[in-house]
Amino acid sequence: MSSEGNFGVSDSVQSGVPVLLVTGEVDVSTAPELRERLVAVAEKGDRVVVVDLTNVSFVDSTALGVLVSGVKRFRNVGGDLRLVVTQPHISKVLEITGLTDVFAIYSTSAEAVGA
Amino acid sequence: MTTAGSADLDPDRIEERAVNRVDLSIPAKPELLFLARMTAAAVASRAEFGYDQIEDLRLALDELCLTILEGRTGGRMNLQFNWTEDAMEVTATVGDNDSHGPRGQDRLVATPKPNELSERILDALVDEHGFDYQNGTSSSWLRVRRVDETD
Repeated sequence: MSSEGNFGVSDSVQSGVPVLLVTGEVDVSTAPELRERLVAVAEKGDRVVVVDLTNVSFVDSTALGVLVSGVKRFRNVGGDLRLVVTQPHISKVLEITGLTDVFAIYSTSAEAVGA
Repeated sequence: MTTAGSADLDPDRIEERAVNRVDLSIPAKPELLFLARMTAAAVASRAEFGYDQIEDLRLALDELCLTILEGRTGGRMNLQFNWTEDAMEVTATVGDNDSHGPRGQDRLVATPKPNELSERILDALVDEHGFDYQNGTSSSWLRVRRVDETD
């Protein structure tokens, strides 16, 4: 069993908006893959991306760093990175780091896509 | 860096009163941090910490380890968990002269320094924490009191 074993990122497009559905634990060893996926979306020219953390069981400061870099990148081109967060412990990490003021956070991907 | 403490969390007292101790030695590799988190959760559960505190401890321990792994390649990381009926202390150490590690493979490539997000997380989740770097050895520690989550 490893953190890599249950980590994954699947992508879809909802109403024209790319959605990255992340699963498992996002830590220092798995966060780079999330970064690569975000960069790939940006390089395709999409200005808005939704990162759905509904199925994420753990995030650390490395994961948050990747998301902060991502939101800066998308906002620099007039877009946004929107988060879907439903797990209380993920919300707690965002709150204690002050990042609830940085991200647009939604409770479903449909909400985030339609925002 | 240390936050306000209490008599219950006095390091000597915890050491003295510790009725249980677990040691974990793992390669100092980021991809193995999940083992440290799993151990923290198991020990906290054994120490009868509640679900929320176990989740907090998993994250705090991860940040503690990240701090001392920063800038290092190779070697081993040693963690020691001490707990009593009302508190837990965890110490994480990784050094240049670890007798468990292959000689010549543990190299500090940058001076370790806690990042801002790690500090914020640790400040919020544990009662006390600290970081030290001396003679090629990085160590970090945390102390947390068990709270009754039914309150």
